Amino acid sequence: MKFKLIIDKDREEEIIAVVHATCPLTEQIEDLVNCFSGTDHLIGHKDEEMRKLEFSKIECITVIDRRVIAIDTKGEQYCLKDRLRDLEEILPSYFIRINKSALANERRIERFNAVFSGGVDAVFFCGYREYVSRRCFAQIKRRYDKI
Amino acid sequence: MKSFALELLKRGAVGCGFGPIVLAIVYWVLQETAGVLTLTVNEVCIGIVSLTALAFIAGGMNAVYKIERLPLVWAILIHGCVLYLSYLATYLVNGWLELGTAPILIFSAIFVVGFFAIWAVIYFVTRKKTAELNDFLKKKQLNYPFDK
Repeated sequence: MKFKLIIDKDREEEIIAVVHATCPLTEQIEDLVNCFSGTDHLIGHKDEEMRKLEFSKIECITVIDRRVIAIDTKGEQYCLKDRLRDLEEILPSYFIRINKSALANERRIERFNAVFSGGVDAVFFCGYREYVSRRCFAQIKRRYDKI
Repeated sequence: MKSFALELLKRGAVGCGFGPIVLAIVYWVLQETAGVLTLTVNEVCIGIVSLTALAFIAGGMNAVYKIERLPLVWAILIHGCVLYLSYLATYLVNGWLELGTAPILIFSAIFVVGFFAIWAVIYFVTRKKTAELNDFLKKKQLNYPFDK
């Protein structure tokens, strides 16, 4: 792998990594860029409180009663103003879709659990569980097969 | 619900085409195994209509698996019940199954055994795939000790 640095004051600043597959290095670069540019967090609302939620501290983002909710590492739930579809575009690549209405922080999934009904649940470190749809399960499996 | 109905119609319409083909296979099997050499116009008409309807239901009911929130076991159960009733009705209408307690019980027993066998296979395959996924997940998470 090569490192190339181009200093050009006339161009917009961007970091492009050309790789065969995502790896810890690319994800760390992504984290650093997000942190540096100040886009490494979301704003969550709970009662009258407004809190900055760092991406790494969010375990799952799901839709409950038509509201987009972020669940943090302590299991606390915060309401988000953004739509899930918009969030999917700004969140780092370690957030994966686990069903039509939930995004999971892959680093905060404790395990996948096959349930007796024949479905699969994602169990997070905070104890929260969210079902994994069959379509997303196949997508996650394909994603891991590439590693 | 609307998308489910549309999916059911779409899949059912595709499935319909296979009805007469399945009927041709059934007639051929009946000729080879039960010595059925002649059929009345009425029998052929009932056969075509009932098998087309059965194929529509069999194809269309696959749409139940597209309902994300529905657990797989419920999807299989609904699918299984609808198929059971459709098959039973088709067999009885065409006279392929005698209308009596014993034949229907045998038919039902075979259907239930088949249904649970499929469910067991799906459950164990899901468990195996989940275990594989967990291995990958653990390997991946080992690269991020700073998050723990």
